[in-house]
Formats: sequence, structure tokens, C-alpha cells
Amino acid sequence: MIRLYNYHLDENGFRVRLLLSMLGLSFETVAVDKAPGREQEKPPMLALNPTGTLPILEDGDVRLFGTAAILAYLVRAHAPDSPWLTADAADFGRVQQWLGFSTRELKPAVDAREAALFTSEGASDSDLKAARKAFRIMNDHMTLRQIEGLDWFVGNTPTLADLALLPSFALSRDCGIDHDEYPALRRWLRRFRTLPGFITMPGVPDYH
Amino acid sequence: MTSALAWIPVALSADIEAGTSAGTLVNGEERVVWRDDKGEIHVWEDRCPHRGMRMSFGFVRGDHIACLYHGWRYDTSGQCRYIPAHPDLKVPQTIKVPTFAATERAGIVWMAPEGADPAELSTLHEAAEPVRSLFLDMPAEATLLAVTAAPPEGYRPIESGTGLVTFQGNEMTVLIAAQPRDAGRTALHITAAGNTSATLRRDLILWATDLRNRVESQMVEAA
Repeated sequence: MIRLYNYHLDENGFRVRLLLSMLGLSFETVAVDKAPGREQEKPPMLALNPTGTLPILEDGDVRLFGTAAILAYLVRAHAPDSPWLTADAADFGRVQQWLGFSTRELKPAVDAREAALFTSEGASDSDLKAARKAFRIMNDHMTLRQIEGLDWFVGNTPTLADLALLPSFALSRDCGIDHDEYPALRRWLRRFRTLPGFITMPGVPDYH
Repeated sequence: MTSALAWIPVALSADIEAGTSAGTLVNGEERVVWRDDKGEIHVWEDRCPHRGMRMSFGFVRGDHIACLYHGWRYDTSGQCRYIPAHPDLKVPQTIKVPTFAATERAGIVWMAPEGADPAELSTLHEAAEPVRSLFLDMPAEATLLAVTAAPPEGYRPIESGTGLVTFQGNEMTVLIAAQPRDAGRTALHITAAGNTSATLRRDLILWATDLRNRVESQMVEAA
């Protein structure tokens, strides 16, 4: 049985739960008190993941931390021939590029949302600015894709690139970043929501 | 020539798909732009009279738009028709969202005060292909000056009205319509009419994106 150490309001946990759902995999969750307890940074959890982050995935003998690694592992292990992680070298590279973007350029968006939800200070101006810049890069990319009649970040099908990028945009209103400046991302989000197995979380409306 | 337009551009027609809504800012005021399932476009104040929730966070069902909070449903005149918590209630006429005149011309959604004449836009092409909307952190007038000063290669500016820039070239007419979002932010809605192709529109997207990046980096240097 796949086991996910997870905090339900955690954006990165949502990334993994979304993929598990879209792959149709059953799993159990272990609830970790990230807010306010910061349990993932304390010794019992540090034994599982020394970096003190969530989520953590266990699947048989395999234990992984780092969201992008977990996503890539799940596809390779449980849906190896699926288009989520294409075999084509160029598109594989492009998916990795956006996976990297999701953990690097979108980190300010993740941090801004957490600060807005769980701290009294709220999101920092520098994180909000960096988050907007990241969304703008994504919107510029999808504007060009759409003029070519292409619906997804890479290739002709949804890939891990779309799945890893989408939660930050879907949840951006949690830290006050509206969707109005990103029309190409609005259309992309609506399309992704219609895919089989899509799930929501608090902050992503069930109705749309 | 169009001048002193009552009509303000608020979106590319292609970006508001049937059955969807989007929020936007016009001179600092929040507006919702939505399209019903018959394809009609609507622009309203972006505020549910019940609890003040933004209607653009809600959802379109048929020719009604519903608020995300409590599902209050409004018809295309802005009149509330159904309150789920009180299914048998005949909803009072006073529960109504303020609406604006809305029309589409040259591939762009335009809004104006109720009663405005869409014929004011008749000098523009009736239909056009979308290029892109471009969002800049600078005032509308300065943005349009920057656009006029750096036309895309192969195009020349022709006379146009207030809030608009028009280029001609490559057997196309390129329309750039400025939406003042607030005092310091502008959206440019760009479309192309005539002998368009995906390649030419792609080149225009790249020109526009590059223009935004150059103009904003000049602003950073000047600051």
C-alpha cells in the first residue's frame, strides 16, 4: 500500500494526491500537524525525511521526499507507459524543465500562500512579486501554445509539467493573487479540471 | 475616426469562453465579464449584493451566473432569481447586480455605461483574430506612447482614436486597445484583422511580450 505523509492544506501534498487520483492508485495518508505544530521538522519525522518537508511517500521499500521526485517516481513505477512522463527525449527534457520550475520559481507562490494562511504577518511583498513573475512566465508560454492550437505545457497531452504547475495557480487567490492577468492560464486550468480523476482541495472550488 | 470612446475594452473575446466568467479591474473598480451558454457577453459590477463576494469567483449555469458563497443565481439582467437556502421564496426585485452595456467588436469585449451606442465602435473591423492581452504595471497613456514608439517590424501606425493604437502591415490591421485597470496598471488587448495567420500572430505575440519586458526594465532602471 502506498502511504503519503500529508497535511491536508499543504499545496505540495495536493500535487501528490492529485496525481494519485488521476492515476487511479489507492493509498493511505498519515496526517502530519504542519500548522501550527511544524511536526515535519521534529525528530520523529526527521528520521523519515531529514530535510523536514512534506510530503513524504512510502511505497514498499521506497521512501521519497521532494515533490517532483515523488511525482516522477509514481509515474515510472505505476504508469510507465502513460504520457504523464513522455519517453521522447526533447519532451522529457521539457517536462523536467517545468518540474524544476515548479519547485524553484513557484516556491515563492507556495511560501506566500502558507504565510497568508498560517501566519499573522501574511505573505511577504518579495514572495508575492516573485510569484506573479512566475505566473506571468507560465501565461506567456501558454499564450504561445494556444495560438498553435496546443492545450498543454509540453506535447499534445497533459504531462507532469501541467500537474506540477497547476496547484500554485489554482490556489493563488489564497494569497490574494487574482487570475485576471493570466487569461491563458485560466483556460488551461479549466481544461485540466475536466480530466478524469481531477480532485479539489480547500481553496480550489468544486463548482466552476 | 473614433474619439472619446465611451467604450472600454475589458478582454479578448476568445478568452471568455461560453459558460465562464472572469474578474477584471476598470479604473480601479472590480468588474465581472461573463458569457452565458448562448454566447452572449455580460459585464457587471463584480459583487454579489448578499455578502459582497466577487461574482467572478462564481459559476455560470445556462444563462444565469451564481455566487460561489451561497449559490444565489442571477439572470442576464442582473436580477436575482433563485436563493437556494429559500427555494420557495419569490426573490424581491431589489436584489439586483448593477450592469453595464457590453458588446463585442474586432475580437474584443467592450463595456460602457448602460445606454451607450455600440455604433461608436463601427469604425473598427467587425471581427478579428486574437493576438494576446498584455498586462503592464504602468499608466495607460504612457503604455500607448511606448507602443506607438516601437511598432513591430513591417507595420506602420495609422490614425486611431483615444485609447487605441492601430498598425497596418503584412495585409493586416492590428488593433491595440488599452484598458486602464487603475492609475498605475494597464491591459492592452491586441487583435489582428485581414490576412492573418498563426505565424504572423505568433510574431505579434513575441513583439508584444518583448515590448512589455523592455518597457518595464526601463522603468526599473529609471526608478
